[in-house]
Amino acid sequence: MNYTGLLDWIERTFTGGVRCRLDAARRVSEVDCDRGALAEVCRRLFHELDFAFAGLIVEEQPQTWDLRYVFCGGPEAGWVHVRVEAPIEEKLFPSIVIESKIPAADWHEREAEDLFGVRFAGHPRLGDFVLHDDAWQEAVEPMRHRFDAQAAIRDRKPRADWRPRRVVQESGAFMMPIGPKFSGVTESVHFQLETVGEDVIRSWTRLFYKWRAIEKLAEGKLAEEALLIAERFAATTAFAHGLAFCQAVESIGGSAVPRRAGVLRVFLAELERLRHHAGAIREICESTALAVATSQAALREEELLRVSGELTGHRYLFGLLAPGGLLTDLPTPACEGALRRAQTILARLDDLERQLTVSSSFLDRIEEVGVIWPGTARAYSLVGPVARASALRRDLRCMQPYSGYESLQFDVPTEQEGDGYARLRVLFAEARQSVRIMEQAAAALEDGEVYRPAPLVAGAALGWTEAPRGATLHWVRLDGLGRVQRYRVVTPSFTNWHSFHLGAEKFAFQDFPIILSTFNLSVAESDR
Amino acid sequence: MSGWVLKGISTGIKTTAYPQRPESAAGVTPGLPVGGQFGAAAADLAQRCPVHALEEARGAVSVDYRRCVHCYRCVRGAARPIAWQSDYEWAGLAGAVRTEDAFGQAFSHSIHILVVDAGDCGACLNEVKQLNNPYYNMHRLGFFITPTPRHADILLIVGALTDQMRVALRKTYEAMPAPKRVVAVGACALSGGVFADSFVCAQTATDVLPIDVEVPGNPPPPLAILHGLLVAVGRKPPASLLSAPP
Amino acid sequence: MVSLTFILSCFAACGTGIALSLVTPPKRQGALLAWAGGIAAIAAAAAGAMTLVSGDSFTRALWPLPGLATLTLRLDPLSAVLVLVTGMVLLPSSIYAAGELRGGSMPGRERAFTIMSLALAASIVLVLIAADALLFLLAWEVMSILCYLLIASARGEHDAQAGSAYLLLAMGEAGTLAAALGFLLLATHAPSVEFAALKSAAASLSPGARWAVFLLTFFGFGVKAGLVPVNSWLQGAYAAAPRAFAPVLAGATLNLGLYGILRVNADLLSASDATIGLVALGVGTASALIGILYATTDNDLKVMLAHSSIENVGIIVAGMGAGMVFTATGHPVLGSIAFVAALYHLTNHSLYKALLFVGVGSVEARTGTRDMDRLGGLIKVMPLLAAIFLVGTLAIAGLPPLNGFVSEWLTLQSLLRAAELSSTGAKIVFALCGAALALTAALAVTCFVKVFALTFLGMRRLPPEREVSEAGRPALAAMGLLALLCLGFGVLPTYVIALLDPVSVQVSTSSASEALVPPFFASATGDHGLPPAFAAEFHDLGAQVGQAVLPGRGLVVLHRGGESNPVVFAMSSSYMAIALIVLLLLTWIVVRLWLTRARRLARGERWDGGLRRLLPEMTYTATGFSNPVRVIFDAIFRPTTVVDTRETVAEHFRNAIRRETERVHLVDRLVFRPVRTTTLRFARLLAAMHHGKINAYVTYAFLALLVALVLLPGS
Repeated sequence: MNYTGLLDWIERTFTGGVRCRLDAARRVSEVDCDRGALAEVCRRLFHELDFAFAGLIVEEQPQTWDLRYVFCGGPEAGWVHVRVEAPIEEKLFPSIVIESKIPAADWHEREAEDLFGVRFAGHPRLGDFVLHDDAWQEAVEPMRHRFDAQAAIRDRKPRADWRPRRVVQESGAFMMPIGPKFSGVTESVHFQLETVGEDVIRSWTRLFYKWRAIEKLAEGKLAEEALLIAERFAATTAFAHGLAFCQAVESIGGSAVPRRAGVLRVFLAELERLRHHAGAIREICESTALAVATSQAALREEELLRVSGELTGHRYLFGLLAPGGLLTDLPTPACEGALRRAQTILARLDDLERQLTVSSSFLDRIEEVGVIWPGTARAYSLVGPVARASALRRDLRCMQPYSGYESLQFDVPTEQEGDGYARLRVLFAEARQSVRIMEQAAAALEDGEVYRPAPLVAGAALGWTEAPRGATLHWVRLDGLGRVQRYRVVTPSFTNWHSFHLGAEKFAFQDFPIILSTFNLSVAESDR
Repeated sequence: MSGWVLKGISTGIKTTAYPQRPESAAGVTPGLPVGGQFGAAAADLAQRCPVHALEEARGAVSVDYRRCVHCYRCVRGAARPIAWQSDYEWAGLAGAVRTEDAFGQAFSHSIHILVVDAGDCGACLNEVKQLNNPYYNMHRLGFFITPTPRHADILLIVGALTDQMRVALRKTYEAMPAPKRVVAVGACALSGGVFADSFVCAQTATDVLPIDVEVPGNPPPPLAILHGLLVAVGRKPPASLLSAPP
Repeated sequence: MVSLTFILSCFAACGTGIALSLVTPPKRQGALLAWAGGIAAIAAAAAGAMTLVSGDSFTRALWPLPGLATLTLRLDPLSAVLVLVTGMVLLPSSIYAAGELRGGSMPGRERAFTIMSLALAASIVLVLIAADALLFLLAWEVMSILCYLLIASARGEHDAQAGSAYLLLAMGEAGTLAAALGFLLLATHAPSVEFAALKSAAASLSPGARWAVFLLTFFGFGVKAGLVPVNSWLQGAYAAAPRAFAPVLAGATLNLGLYGILRVNADLLSASDATIGLVALGVGTASALIGILYATTDNDLKVMLAHSSIENVGIIVAGMGAGMVFTATGHPVLGSIAFVAALYHLTNHSLYKALLFVGVGSVEARTGTRDMDRLGGLIKVMPLLAAIFLVGTLAIAGLPPLNGFVSEWLTLQSLLRAAELSSTGAKIVFALCGAALALTAALAVTCFVKVFALTFLGMRRLPPEREVSEAGRPALAAMGLLALLCLGFGVLPTYVIALLDPVSVQVSTSSASEALVPPFFASATGDHGLPPAFAAEFHDLGAQVGQAVLPGRGLVVLHRGGESNPVVFAMSSSYMAIALIVLLLLTWIVVRLWLTRARRLARGERWDGGLRRLLPEMTYTATGFSNPVRVIFDAIFRPTTVVDTRETVAEHFRNAIRRETERVHLVDRLVFRPVRTTTLRFARLLAAMHHGKINAYVTYAFLALLVALVLLPGS
């Protein structure tokens, strides 16, 4: 179904209370509906047309709440933004988790309630999500414009009798706490594993220990300053996030970046993906304690970090992006040199993959472990290698091409089993595709400028990239002076963390760190 | 099984010669800006820094390394770009006064490190993880990572301390037996980095714990973190965290 | 004669106590029970000790019953051991029971309890000194009924209590019936049922009759002892028994079953068939293994101790079986070692089991629950109880230098002596049983680590409003006394072996003391029957330390082999204890006075991963701790899932996951349920005959008449 077809379908299906608008330049269809029709519209998009639920954007306008449910179809249908408005005093909206049976929206609704105070009728788990109940009092609502940080901190009254919810009712069941500080070098996150001794019957993840409130922090900053936050809140995939932010700002101004900048952006994004995947492979080998494989993968990651550092000056590609292009040009010979080194490194990665596939002791630990079924992947709208390993072939570089990906040839590797081994195979295959894209990009490099300043215009737009961990969305609203009014980030880790507990259940304790490493999730990216 | 052994042996030795000899391979460090004399252009240059790491005084620009977030705005797109050093021995002393519990000779070649993520973006933590790869191999220097504070000598903090991690950080520090040292790694841990203005990052690690060694950078490369650990056990002299022109 | 005086004093104390109890007010019943029971216990213990130490036994004929027997009393070494053990257990039990009565745990029934307890004590001693089958069975019946009454009269909160008592009575009576049949068979060629007569007539029994007697008495008395597969009553009865009675039930009455088996099969019927011994060994090992498996996976403190009793009885019976095999195959020395091991374990079990039951009773009295999953952290509020309970836990887990270690070690070592047997089949059985008993010992450690850790250590899981205070002084005194006895029996094994020596002479005609305790305390000039070089080596190791102050032959337990293998096994828990104390003291001195001299001691919170608050539900439960055992031995437990439901909201938010499993005891599953099903089926078949039609009944009578006419020979 293409854009116009979609609009016709909507107008036919919903006779009243729904208005559509197409923004062909930005490939967005905006569907405005009232609260009564919201659930039905979402249900049809998600279940009948098989659109992915990408995120919920809540904006507090002076008189109204503006909720924007973002759905993503394929390359022809584009983005669909289902917008609902309500007067600012009325904070109750229908819950599309309950009424449209879209589990993917669960955490988005919880976050909106915690940060804005917007309530969703029928949702049974609102509260104690971003703001921990044993650290903050009720009704803090930090994302509201009227929020007073000093007062909130002064009037701190956390719940002294907070207990985690217990779901398992079996005699002798107990909860095994992990974290927030656990294991050797890990991010801070808390798990509760409910068990009667051997198998994990139910697992619960408590995120947002690392919540830095970047969406609030960015408000009032110039776009260039907010870009620094976009790059650095999840810096292992800094370039992908920075690129999504820049594309959002460029989309607001309606400008296009110079061709050389676009090609270089693709080159660097794939270099980052290659380096990130080497690191993810290292983590998986490390979790199974296969020391030589871990060292081999670690060597590749460090070599790629050095390639990145030598080419751009920074190992994690900071300081290159700007809205309108790149801050500095990278000479073509240097790029070609980096490409040659990347190809050598890829050959060694392929060696590693060959050797891992014949190590039965390694495979025993990741095969049929941490399984995410295709139905679950679809219901939770998972993204990235996790989704693609569960037969959900969704990649924003194909579904919504940006920065020139539409003219490049590459495969999107997909696996069917949804277990740890499938996710590992996807990582190796994507590394190969990244080098393939880098080869095409290096060959397509022509001389030219790399920066054309974007015009200062008020407006809002969505920027997106397929980050190494999956689809990431950055929604930016600027005022006429180039200051950020609203910054919303939906990250792949946030989406995929939502399903992690399902992968970890019904396995023994010893499998837990391995399952965690195969999901390749970032707490910093999720917590923002 | 033998395939892995052969693979390991055939890879050879990749380890850097640091700290015996300096490491000069490309891409091991992002470097840091160097303070200098800029005359009339000094004020504009200092204005370009979004985190106020550049201070201008009478035409001289000095750099506070604790704040630098590697945005490169003082180099890229600047009329008079700042000078750049490609070093990595950046760690300085933070001045925590510890009168008793001297670390002593016993700890200089055998240290157990506990790493706490106070709100890190992932890059500093990833650089810490590189310390165990064959290129850096901190085990040969006697540094080990331990998962429990009961065995730890050094607490290594990465990340801008968030409000919801304060209790955990404090508890971790108190669970460590004396003698202990604290090493803060990365601009976010030292000054909050780009998150300093967030209401949940109002307190930095310095406000909560006594810090002994500070390693600037965003993120500091593995060699800089290694230097910081060597400074903490007294095997290397500390560097200055402020670069001012003479 | 002195021992007779002591026995009579024992009965007199009981009788006086009963008489006084009728006139004493209820709140003084406890003190009366303590005094009367205590005096009776001390008298009994003295009688037993006298007989064992100085050989002062007696035989006293009472009243002759024409045509049956003369009721006779006799205190021989076998009886004396058990009388001593009974006395040692009854003294602290009486003190504890007095504390319980005074504490009001049995309102309105103090008098009945006191009278029944004293009567039970008397009946136990009577069973032990009865020297003819009739008096034996009479006293046994009285004892059984008193046990039943003591359990049934304690009012519980559920019908399970009444059911358990009834099961005890039913199975007990079935066992008594079988044992009585055994006695009758034994008496087929004897002039009367006196034990002396039975013993001399035993020689003329056919092998088939011997087997029949063995099986009847082994499983008949095995009911009381708690042998698999006749142990089904034990778990429920021990759980239902009132707190004041449980130590006696586990420490005194359980031994009567073992006494019965020993008396008939090792004394009256001297062991002559090795296969009988192998059967006993096998059944004992099976009991031990099954008992400890169920003990490890049970969360109720009393039920767990009941299963542990089954385990210990299994070890004792295994030792007995090994002794019977050795004696039957012409290795009396090895037989004596095995029998001594079995009796030593019997003594030890009574001591530490009584200790643990008093401890568990105190915990239940103070906290109101016996469920390990709901206890925890009690060491902070009941430190003394925890400390003494720990001694009992270490003893039952078999850790040196306590008594459990010595007897288990001796049992395993005697099983290893199967190398001397000639029959390969017997050797294989011994090897398998030895391996199974070693597994049992390991599981016992797991079980009791779980018991101590989850009851006393960790975080408190009781509701915060429940006030828990230290156990009462009577309980602590009782436990302290038993703990001291455990320690003594562990640290001085050579004296215990010397004490048990007369029994080994009686049942295996060989002196265990001779076999196990070399006279290192004699001077080094070789007048002790050991080769000088051998003795010199051991003197260099310090085997004569203590010679000047301690009596006896020495402190080393050692079994000598031949020329090529001079020492088969050797151990000295006495020296071990000294070494342990010295090492601990040394460590303490080094740490306190040297290593930590310059350092402060910092106290901090437990490390919990940086949580804001660690909650009790985030700590291990007993179920979780023993889950690996449950999983590994799943084939034995075979739990069935009763409930497995998930409650969700909108199929996404999980509200509850409910799982319940049900476990039926292996013995019930394999033995009793099939028997019950078949019996009921057969009964239903027979019930078809009862349909009320009078014509049919007349036909039955007619058929019976026909059958009688055909079968009876014409006269």
